[in-house]
Amino acid sequence: MTDAIPRSVRSFPSGERRPRAWWLVYIPLTILFIFAVAPLLLTWFTAFKTDQQQLVSPYGLPLPPTLDNLGEAWTVGRFSIYFKNSLIISIADVIGMVVISSLAGYAFARLRFPGQKLLLYGLLVGLTIPVAAIIIPLYLTMRDFHLLNTYSSVIIADIALAAPIFVFIMRAFFKDLPVELDDAARVDGANELQIFWQIMLPLARPGLMTVALLEFLWSWNDLLLPLVFLVSDDLRTLPVGMLFFQGRFTIDYGLMSAGVLILSLPVTLLFLIFQRDFVKGLASGALKG
Amino acid sequence: MAVQPYSQSIESLRAAQRGRSGLSRSVLQRYLVAYLFILPVLLLYVVFVLRPTLQTFWLAFYDWNGISVDREWVGLANFQRLLADPIFWQALQHSLIWTVVVVAFNLAVGLAAAALLAGNIRGRLLFQLGYFLPVVQASIVTAMIWRWIYAPTGVLNTGLETLGLGFLTRGWLGDFTVVLPALAIASSWMTFGLSVVILLAGMQGIDPTLYDAARVDGAGAGRMFFDITIPSLRNTITIVILLALVDAFKVFDIIWATTEGGPIRTTEVLSTYLFKEGFQQNQYGYGSAIAVALSLIILVASILNLTLRERGDD
Repeated sequence: MTDAIPRSVRSFPSGERRPRAWWLVYIPLTILFIFAVAPLLLTWFTAFKTDQQQLVSPYGLPLPPTLDNLGEAWTVGRFSIYFKNSLIISIADVIGMVVISSLAGYAFARLRFPGQKLLLYGLLVGLTIPVAAIIIPLYLTMRDFHLLNTYSSVIIADIALAAPIFVFIMRAFFKDLPVELDDAARVDGANELQIFWQIMLPLARPGLMTVALLEFLWSWNDLLLPLVFLVSDDLRTLPVGMLFFQGRFTIDYGLMSAGVLILSLPVTLLFLIFQRDFVKGLASGALKG
Repeated sequence: MAVQPYSQSIESLRAAQRGRSGLSRSVLQRYLVAYLFILPVLLLYVVFVLRPTLQTFWLAFYDWNGISVDREWVGLANFQRLLADPIFWQALQHSLIWTVVVVAFNLAVGLAAAALLAGNIRGRLLFQLGYFLPVVQASIVTAMIWRWIYAPTGVLNTGLETLGLGFLTRGWLGDFTVVLPALAIASSWMTFGLSVVILLAGMQGIDPTLYDAARVDGAGAGRMFFDITIPSLRNTITIVILLALVDAFKVFDIIWATTEGGPIRTTEVLSTYLFKEGFQQNQYGYGSAIAVALSLIILVASILNLTLRERGDD
């Protein structure tokens, strides 16, 4: 972290001079950085250590690294199956959410129709409903539709529960686009679908990106819905698989760490690539509901 | 060539359209398109969110095991039982303790980190990235990691031994005096990055001339922090507190994956309690009564949150 040490004296936005005791700033920030990053990093390292290495150097680098834990978690631990299930559900969630939230967000932002305000406020109530509070009747609903123990139950519930927040995000994006755009298109004789599809949607791409990333994150990490809806082990997602896995292999930290690595690596990579979208999206999501 | 202002020509076109009939075909068509656009969301929302929400309230008036055809209407009996249930009150207390720990941690750490980062220091992006990394992790991942940290031979105990504080070591998740705050700290690990971002955004919105004026008056950094920064962030701080409150009542995964509400119910919260009553004891009516209490608490917190948010926007 030597590159984080200031070499030049710049000034604060407020005009305040940088404190001469720069270590007063950097030491606490660095301790907090280690607190945030080290637990995950050490767990990832453990995934590449043999039992022997775990005993000898529990906090050191995994040298030489072994792939035995990952291999065993992937095959014997059935993480390959959980991974596939998580991927299917999350991708279906993302596609479904992008489609329905952009349609509804567009309608609420740029079209006028009777009952618009009422329906919008109705959705707003949905932002406040905690999943746990409706999980019992939701389970019964899925049972009535004969959807229990199918991917669809989780996909449908994921989309329905998160739809309000994403409709609001997309509505905000469409609202910011200039009014002249659709007026011009209407004069040119374009119909509503053409305006939406050919003009608005391409311009709202940053919004769609936020929706896709956040929906992927939430469905990938979700525990409660797949835990309640999916009974058979062949359909379980990574978080649920992990939950039952720890019951069976509770002492084996190498295997558990391998499981953590498989579960956390995809979202961590996505986060590192699209940090801005995640930070902005999660901050506004948190503030809204 | 006569140039007519663009918007004006649109207006005249619209007026011409309107003139043809009160509700022309094209207007009706446009309504239809709008309704079609919102139909999928509305359908999913009504069937899988709104109806279950109402059903929770309705089920709370029944005694039902979830399977048998006949369910017994018991009126307010479930709510009477709830108010007399010591586990319910314990669960509420646990959520409040959880809130206090998370709020204290997120505010103390968040304010300090945001204040230090607000100075446009070098490496700010790196720090922010690091602090935000736990935010994107699954709560089951957080649970696994902290089980490992809190294990009898885990990082925490090893560290305490090394520092000569061996008398403090314990099985953190088995000791019912510390298990609840210990898990709340694990949860704070996963959420403080968000608090840093929210507080930092709040700090960057403070008028810099306030600081300039204070400096002229000879105020030091500490004085300015407590006299300017904190009061200016009043709304932001309230939002961070309400977020933690809502989170504390929503929490399920971390507790379920570590202690399942134990030992001896010392980490039982409303969500774990209703999960057990509903899906393990098949007490759907009573589980729903717990869910109603949970919904009402979160509804109040969310309304407060939204109201403050609106006010903050002005």
